[in-house]
Amino acid sequence: MYNNMGPQPGMPMHQGIPQPGMPMHPAIPQPSPFGNPFSGPGSGLIRSGLGAYGEKIFGSSSEYVQSNISRYFSDPQYYFQVNDQYVRNKLKIVLFPFLHRGHWTRISEPVGGRLSYKPPIYDINAPDLYIPLMAFGTYVVLAGLSLGLYGKFSPEALNWLFVKGMVGWFLQVMLLKISLLSLGSGEAPLLDIVAYAGYTFTGLCLAVLGKIIWGYSYYVLIPWTCLCTGVFLVKTMKPVLFAEARSYDSSRHHYLLIFVALAQFPLLIWLGNISVNWLF
Amino acid sequence: MTKDFAVPPVVFPTGGSSGGANVQQRRFSAIPFQQPPPQSSSQIPFLSFNMGSAAASSATTAGPFGGTIASSSSFGGGGGGSPSFEDEEPLLDELGIHPDQIWKKTRSILNPFRINQTVHKDSDLSGPIFLYLALCLFQLLAGKIQFGVILGWIVVSSIFLYVVFNMLAGRNGNLNLHTCTSLVGYCLLPVVVLSAVSLFVPQGAGPVKYVLAGVFVLWSTRACSTLVVSLADGGEEHRGLIAYACFLIYTLFSLLVIF
Repeated sequence: MYNNMGPQPGMPMHQGIPQPGMPMHPAIPQPSPFGNPFSGPGSGLIRSGLGAYGEKIFGSSSEYVQSNISRYFSDPQYYFQVNDQYVRNKLKIVLFPFLHRGHWTRISEPVGGRLSYKPPIYDINAPDLYIPLMAFGTYVVLAGLSLGLYGKFSPEALNWLFVKGMVGWFLQVMLLKISLLSLGSGEAPLLDIVAYAGYTFTGLCLAVLGKIIWGYSYYVLIPWTCLCTGVFLVKTMKPVLFAEARSYDSSRHHYLLIFVALAQFPLLIWLGNISVNWLF
Repeated sequence: MTKDFAVPPVVFPTGGSSGGANVQQRRFSAIPFQQPPPQSSSQIPFLSFNMGSAAASSATTAGPFGGTIASSSSFGGGGGGSPSFEDEEPLLDELGIHPDQIWKKTRSILNPFRINQTVHKDSDLSGPIFLYLALCLFQLLAGKIQFGVILGWIVVSSIFLYVVFNMLAGRNGNLNLHTCTSLVGYCLLPVVVLSAVSLFVPQGAGPVKYVLAGVFVLWSTRACSTLVVSLADGGEEHRGLIAYACFLIYTLFSLLVIF
């Protein structure tokens, strides 16, 4: 349904495959280009720092440390392979999840014996970190703007808003992580969960923007945002939960998913209530 | 009855201009600190005191005011030895501040429609420091003391832009932090102009301030994203995404100015 690549002349990886829309089976297994966190920008620092640490502890082999780090903190480069079309389509999905007609599972490809997911450009359901980061920044800026319109702006207040946003993001990550842990092994990569949690800031920005433009629209936009975020998180976590669960206990799964959706309401109302006193 | 002093009285050497009867040359003893070797003219010439030759060289330039000014200038000017004062580099060059380059770069941003990118190829941080001080000055005139806040925000936002650009550009992204900070600093110029202009906007005109701020922020964003994309590899297909990051940064600064 979402063709993020568009016509791409001379892409070396697509010579044998027709235009990738939402292919069920890739005809040629493509090598995941940025799967290794130890190449690319910043890799020198990671490699030298961790390599030295690993050598110190484990003698000659630093692969043990490297593999552990990449298990817990997967390659951040993967989450930034985005383009304009992906961003637009993903925003449409996050803000209006009811209208998404396609499926919600991520496309996986076998790479070197392990199963890995396609990067966000090729798969609309893959999480990315660009949108959450920008949404968080937009939230802080818009919250500062709304504070200023009520005459209460000061740089310290903006710092407290930043802290509030970080705490909200952290709480959301905890919510998702705990629901994963209580069901299965919680093996999903941490950055995936951080990305999913960060998508709530897009709806929140919409609500704050509505509050700036016309005060009463806020009371319509906040329930709408909570609902949309709840639906989006449920639909994204469902395949993750069912993949990670050891035992198939359907009612517990569903209760947890409903709990995740309902917990959005107090969280987003707290985050959307912008005042100088950051705690409430 | 004259006492015998342990220290002989100071007599200022007047060279050949006057031969006094009771001229007692003060003997300049060895200087207790280390003298740099005379052939190292690249060392800091300031400390290369050499009293004897200093007195001799300054005595030739001294006029009737003779010794006083000459000896004090030999103390203050340093470089009495082989690295003389005239051979030093100009202060600005030594500090790495090139005013003509700063002016060229600043002028290239002043035109919002056509930005000359070649002049920004070598990055420097002294222009951004001037612009930062100018912004702080205008904020001070508006009654807000925000020196630390603005500096902290410049640092944080340049790190933010650095991370976003390099992550988006992938393997061939080669923006380095120095260039990034330099560009963020130079493109702060429209915000500086905004803060100067908003000093004159009357108090009650809310929407005018917002529209004005919007125009200047867009100018800043356009300048910054064009420069960043043209100066570092890998950013061409992500122009819009990078431009949005720059937009966020400069909106933040404009919030400081208008509220």
